[in-house]
Amino acid sequence: MASTSPPSSDEFELDPVFLNSRREAIVIFGLWFLCFIWAVPVSYMMGYGHEIVPGNVPTIFGMPTWIFWGIVCPWLVADVITTWLCFRYIKNDDLGVAPEERAEAGGAGSESATGDAAAKESV
Amino acid sequence: MTTSFLLAEGSNAALITFMIYTLAVFGIAALSNRLLKSKSFMSEYFLGSRGLGVWAFALTFAATSSSGGSFTGFPAKIYTHGWVLALWIGSYMVVPICTMGLIGKRLNQVARSSGAITIPDVLRDRFNSARFGLLTVVLIVFFMSFNLVAQFKAGALILKVLLNDVEIFKSFSLSVAEWTSGVGFFGSDSQYLVCLLFFGVAVIAYTTYGGFHAVVWTDVMQGVVMVIGVLILLPLAISAVGGLDRATQEMSKMTPPRRGYATVAAENPQSEPMRLDKDQWLILETSELDRVFRVAKFFAVPAGASEVHAIELLEITTPSEVERILAGETPVTFFDGLSVTEFQGRDEKYGTVTLAPSSATGGTTFKRGDVLHIENDSPVNERTFQVASDQTMPADGSEVTIAVIQKPSGEYLHSNAHGGLTATNVSMRSVSYAYGADTPGVYVTGPGPSATDSVGFLSLSVAISFFFMWAISGSGQPSNMVRLMAFKDTMTLRRAIFTVALYYTCIYVPLVFIFCCARVLVPGMEAEPDRIMPEIAVYLTNGIGAAWLGGLLIAAPFAAVMSTVDSFLLMISSAMVRDIYQRNVNPDASEGTIKKLSYLCTLIVGSAAMIVAVNPPDFLQDIIVYVGSGLAACFLAPVVFLLYWPRSNVQGSTIGMLAGFSAHFSMYVTGAFVNDSFFRPYRLMDFDPIIIGLFVSFTVTYLATLATPAPPQELVRKYFYRKVEADSQA
Repeated sequence: MASTSPPSSDEFELDPVFLNSRREAIVIFGLWFLCFIWAVPVSYMMGYGHEIVPGNVPTIFGMPTWIFWGIVCPWLVADVITTWLCFRYIKNDDLGVAPEERAEAGGAGSESATGDAAAKESV
Repeated sequence: MTTSFLLAEGSNAALITFMIYTLAVFGIAALSNRLLKSKSFMSEYFLGSRGLGVWAFALTFAATSSSGGSFTGFPAKIYTHGWVLALWIGSYMVVPICTMGLIGKRLNQVARSSGAITIPDVLRDRFNSARFGLLTVVLIVFFMSFNLVAQFKAGALILKVLLNDVEIFKSFSLSVAEWTSGVGFFGSDSQYLVCLLFFGVAVIAYTTYGGFHAVVWTDVMQGVVMVIGVLILLPLAISAVGGLDRATQEMSKMTPPRRGYATVAAENPQSEPMRLDKDQWLILETSELDRVFRVAKFFAVPAGASEVHAIELLEITTPSEVERILAGETPVTFFDGLSVTEFQGRDEKYGTVTLAPSSATGGTTFKRGDVLHIENDSPVNERTFQVASDQTMPADGSEVTIAVIQKPSGEYLHSNAHGGLTATNVSMRSVSYAYGADTPGVYVTGPGPSATDSVGFLSLSVAISFFFMWAISGSGQPSNMVRLMAFKDTMTLRRAIFTVALYYTCIYVPLVFIFCCARVLVPGMEAEPDRIMPEIAVYLTNGIGAAWLGGLLIAAPFAAVMSTVDSFLLMISSAMVRDIYQRNVNPDASEGTIKKLSYLCTLIVGSAAMIVAVNPPDFLQDIIVYVGSGLAACFLAPVVFLLYWPRSNVQGSTIGMLAGFSAHFSMYVTGAFVNDSFFRPYRLMDFDPIIIGLFVSFTVTYLATLATPAPPQELVRKYFYRKVEADSQA
């Protein structure tokens, strides 16, 4: 496709912020899918259509077993993976400077300054 | 009235909290207004100058997403359907990372690079198409206007629930009722009117005056109140019920309550009328276990009456729960001087009556709508029915079976009433709880009891739909997207996602625990489930002698709805001032003009929504669901493609946006024909319209983009490429 090729490959390269964001979005969607195929089927198989003895429901930490394995457990796993994504996987990128920010900062020069500051934060 | 007097009244704790709250909100608006004077007005007023730090960004995002529903509707649902609500809300485990992480960083970058301040700005600039920008403005204003009215109504209703027992509020509402009597526009509910006025004026004033930063900072305050409230309630609820395990085991014995009609007798007829509100309890003494009832609909016993018929009550059907109530273990006080003498469950509503041959003269025709009084004692007790279809008594004197609808017993002034009938058989069909009636265990297993749905509350397909709904369609909400344009840098985004993930874990999982305990602690709330949050807050905090804490806790739902309304209000006014006026009508407008217009527009839009909300449409929750899913069906696919696919173009995005809108809308229109209501949408293959809308939108955007010309290279270069720096070339 013509548009996906750089207009002039010597002068331009694909924006790393775009590439990082796209890679991160794919991984995040994968996490959603993992949670989806864990929570819904496990809850359905363990918690739907079962005969129970009133007053003698199997529990873990006080909640019905299917709630623990189907919801609370994947929830904790999702939190751990989210933490890992936030602090290890998602990159710090320079998001640029908006025109009004540039104007407020007093014109040219501010963009590179902000860019440098953000680059220093990069993981 | 002095403050000390008000504090002495436990029920006034809510009022005190609300007043402090409102003052704090106005203080924040004043501070925000000072910021407006030192920065670019447009960027500051609508986007907070793209400078939100971790806490502000995280909490404004969390509080806007958690609308009033999280603290009224959601607890009510847990109470009504049990543990299965954990699965219903389950996808919140990935909502923060999905709604903020999927498009957050890239959207912020694209918005900065074009100087976009609103979502239509982003879409317009990305494709350099004013027409596409206008289309998005029209869609946002269309959906958001509906939602704004619905949220104003929600705010007023929540405030009414909170102030329900406050004397000063009751007396002021009575005065308002006198002032507005005779003016049809104001309706008959003066309490709602007072709450709407108070809520509306507060929100419009602070949003208009303070702009985006006022909204964000009040969101932060409201977010903190919400999480503190939940974390205080959790140990109190678990301790009060005797452990979470006990709550689960008690719930496993429960069966859904039965609604029905009763005859109530007064021991000593009173000279004054007696008023029975929804929180009153009545008893029917029997030789075995007494039966207990909660008033389901307000009624008044006239002065001097010894017996009243057709009173709507809710019967507690779980024996262990009845025993606890009778033993005084729950906060239940029976109404003195009145007792139930007869109760007929509304579950026995539709069926047939077989009349004895001697019952009526041969040839008598029972017309649809006629009333039948069955008066024999055995095998059928005295009952009243309405004929459901015409039937004639055979001339040969044989039995006849008539389709009927059961009515509450009592006097019926009806021109076509047939009295003195005897029946040999009555067969009625249960409709009280379409799923779960008389079935212990429904509150601890899926799909959960349902009064209306015969497959239960959360069938598998509905569970799948909700997993999509919260996490995926949440990413497509313009009110969330605009916040993603406001954070300072990627470090802020990463820390904020972590903070919101922690925040939701601390809110939603504990809420399920708390309101499962509430099912055991406070029985009979099915009569008005939306009151369960204030009810349990007052119950638990009175138990430890801290009524002020109850006031703080019941402010949480109010905080939640306030933080949602303010952001919607700002979205609509920004669409009008920025996207229509500044970008299409007068691009050279001075900052002074823009400033005046922004204030004026926020004020007018807010006031208009408040006026419409005086007589709001019904189906509050349905409107909110329609708008949320409709916006996702329109915006998610085009935004994802324009951010991540260099080949995306304006034609494909326009067609995809309209296709998503049409597919979603057609499910609702079909519902109007198939299910007799626009707000009961048609479910293709039993899936929610959001699934259909998203599928169509993504597919059509992709195919239409491929079928139309590639976008101009300068746009692709601007948003997807960067200049290679000299040193890296070397």
